[in-house]
Amino acid sequence: MQNVYLAATSATPEVDFRFDAHRLSLKGESYPENAQAFYGPLLDAASAYLAGSRGADIRIDVQLAYFNSSSTKLLMSLFELFNQAALSGNHVVVNWFHDEEDDTILEFGEEIAEDYPALELLTQALV
Amino acid sequence: MGLTAFHRFQDLAREENVVFYYSGYFSQAVVSAMGDALRQRLNSCDATNVTRRKLFSVFVEMAQNVVHYSADPLTASDDADHELRRGAMWVGECDKHFYVVCANPIAREAQPKLLAKLEPLRSMTLDEIKQRYKEKLRCEGEAGSKGAGLGFLTVARDASEPIEFDFVDEPDSATTLFYLKATL
Repeated sequence: MQNVYLAATSATPEVDFRFDAHRLSLKGESYPENAQAFYGPLLDAASAYLAGSRGADIRIDVQLAYFNSSSTKLLMSLFELFNQAALSGNHVVVNWFHDEEDDTILEFGEEIAEDYPALELLTQALV
Repeated sequence: MGLTAFHRFQDLAREENVVFYYSGYFSQAVVSAMGDALRQRLNSCDATNVTRRKLFSVFVEMAQNVVHYSADPLTASDDADHELRRGAMWVGECDKHFYVVCANPIAREAQPKLLAKLEPLRSMTLDEIKQRYKEKLRCEGEAGSKGAGLGFLTVARDASEPIEFDFVDEPDSATTLFYLKATL
């Protein structure tokens, strides 16, 4: 399985998916013109990785300071994939980082936890 | 145009505390360059991180709306990427609140549908807006939307007052000018 690394741009986050170590990270801001075009290949890569994963301890670190409305739906799709993986025998921890004052980002993390209860989602305030 | 006209324009912008004004074609590159400039400007004021993020959010949603939906495209209308469409945007400050105003032409027949989307947002409480947002997040994308169909809800959620909008018909053309304003 090929790892995926994309450097951050002004409108897209740094993507560091180290599938061989079961460590994934998204960091930065997300407001690409076409969110589907950006996240589609990442969803495909994650699907391919998860197709062969059983009993893995997967950790996903998400530190997004801002994401636009079209990115939100694709982020949900990503967590849906990992929720399925958690239901089929993997242990998935999501570290959801947010500015300590920023309720919107925190609440979105809580939405994910509510919708995808098989994920162990830990909200972490950045001081 | 004489330089005096430009002076008048500048003076008015100063009086109205305009942080910046842009009129012309919008592309993703323009949006992110304006976003960077806006951010630099916000770094030198005493707004909180949350206000900055909300202002940035409203700015991006409105500007990307122009990129995706303005009825005056330079690019082919079936391009999903690298779009370039005409609009105008203004970020200002009034009574210690930032606001964003945006204008772009829309097809005249698109007005009733847009009105039906926007009008309810004006009377909803923040909790109702958040609830609607959650419902939308979980449902299938709507026809004609190039994103999640969450743009106006996001603007309404991040604004501190009800959003304002207006439609001004452009005679001699098939378009109406759509104005949207959000105060942070």
